[in-house]
Amino acid sequence: MEYDENGVSIVSNDFKKEIFEEAKKDFRYEEYVKGCLNCGVCTGGCPPHRFFDFSPRMVLQNCKSNDPALVWGMMDEYVWACFQCFTCAMICPFLNNPGGVIAILREISVRRGFESAKKVLKPYSRVLLKLTAYGNQLSPDMIQPDFFPDWGPHIGYASEDLPLKRKAIPMPTLQVTNLAWDVAPEAMKELYTIFDEAGVFKIIEVVDPSLYEIIQDIVDDVRSE
Amino acid sequence: MAENILVIGGGPAGLHAAIELAELGVNVSLVERDTFFGGNPKKFKYKYLFPDLQPADNVIGELVKRAESNNNIKKYLSANIESFKEDGKKFNAVIKSSAGSETKTFDSVIVATGFEHFDPAKDSKYSYQLFDDVIDIKDLERMMGEGNFTRPSNGKPPKNVAIILCVGSRDRHVGNQYCSRVCCTVSVKQAIELREHFPETEVYIFYMDIRTYGFYEDLYWEAMEEHDVQIVKGRVAEITSGPDNTVICKGEDTLLRGPFEIPFDMVVLASGMEGGPQSPEMAEKLGIELDEHGFLKQANVTLSPFKSNKDGIFLAGACTGPKAIADAIVEGGAAAMKAYIYAKKNS
Repeated sequence: MEYDENGVSIVSNDFKKEIFEEAKKDFRYEEYVKGCLNCGVCTGGCPPHRFFDFSPRMVLQNCKSNDPALVWGMMDEYVWACFQCFTCAMICPFLNNPGGVIAILREISVRRGFESAKKVLKPYSRVLLKLTAYGNQLSPDMIQPDFFPDWGPHIGYASEDLPLKRKAIPMPTLQVTNLAWDVAPEAMKELYTIFDEAGVFKIIEVVDPSLYEIIQDIVDDVRSE
Repeated sequence: MAENILVIGGGPAGLHAAIELAELGVNVSLVERDTFFGGNPKKFKYKYLFPDLQPADNVIGELVKRAESNNNIKKYLSANIESFKEDGKKFNAVIKSSAGSETKTFDSVIVATGFEHFDPAKDSKYSYQLFDDVIDIKDLERMMGEGNFTRPSNGKPPKNVAIILCVGSRDRHVGNQYCSRVCCTVSVKQAIELREHFPETEVYIFYMDIRTYGFYEDLYWEAMEEHDVQIVKGRVAEITSGPDNTVICKGEDTLLRGPFEIPFDMVVLASGMEGGPQSPEMAEKLGIELDEHGFLKQANVTLSPFKSNKDGIFLAGACTGPKAIADAIVEGGAAAMKAYIYAKKNS
């Protein structure tokens, strides 16, 4: 994949148009994109705007421009800067939902297995593995500096001496670091059914084929128990 | 025999309608819910009117004086229309006031029940009523009318003031999609007044669009060119408390600075105009229609803006939508003509 000087991957105009059309076809799009007069309330209230070059006002403006190139310009890194807190949707005087637009664009990125999606979702492959293997989302042993830089400068300390820190928690725990709670096999099987129906496994297959293989082995094991 | 016409509402529009009709020899009944005539400009003690900054009393006081001295106008204060019935082409109304209830027959009716200032407390992001130094357009107008330009929290001159436009207007969250038309000009006027009173005070106006329509634009340019008012494009997203007894306005300067968080000594919210509870009340009582914005509905916005959907009942002033005092006075005269023609034909 080649990138332009703004770090946006270079694709054909037809492809940009195809992606924009796919976004507009989403059943939520019309509800999320109404009018915009550049008042800036959304961006003024946007938490990630304080840290990144991300502006919900620009998300809306790019959509309203009807220019597929401007929308494509957000598909790489840009859409992943959003915290999905939906403050913008809460305060927009027009009742736009820039965060919702981001969700639509992210889903396209994931469905199509774009490089940026793969990169951003890499830390979450461990979450998915944990989820499918144990029915837990996050366990203490997953807290490692390499995977959670966004947890801030204390991540190093937080990831050390986990068994000891677990013991210090003043309430009953499983006293292990690879689990947060026990999940019954029946619940796991129901979870797999939901993942199947919702297309979660399919998405994992697109974004991370090797992870998909590992997960499928676990799923087969649990289902055959 | 002279015609009988009922005018409901004793603000700029109602007063002017009543005076014009009285001068034609009509017996006017002027019904006002408050204890005084003059409407919101009087109630909130507006001091100077845009665009020429003439004392409000020159206008409102003059109208009140002319109405009060005219014997063809029967004045009812602290009064309301207790009941209202059509009787052929005429109308029977019971006017209830401190003097008791009085039943009268009218040939036509003018509704001039005006507007209410939007209550900024309804939009929590502005922290109105939470911080003393967050006030609104009518609060400042009243304060300035009393010669007081200082911070409510400590009575000291503010080092800087933020004026925030479109509070309660052009905002689907509060249910008002419309523009209140006058707040931009009033705010620009207030910015100039603040700068003149406290030349050391920095005044910022945060806007989405500045709508100083027509000749009011002169005032806008004057604010910028002669009074160095800072005009920033960006609506404020949130007001929080800041250090040293300040309030922080947080938003995006969409043209120049990007995101900002600026501590201010005082914030003025340019709250807009609403139809108020009196509009639906009148609609129900008189059997006329309300529009989708909560104001009284004009029969035809272009051709017959002073007619309601009911023959013989006419509308004037801000009860049909946000407008300037000058426009309300013009409409009072226009509605008076319509009401007079109707009465003349049917009496």
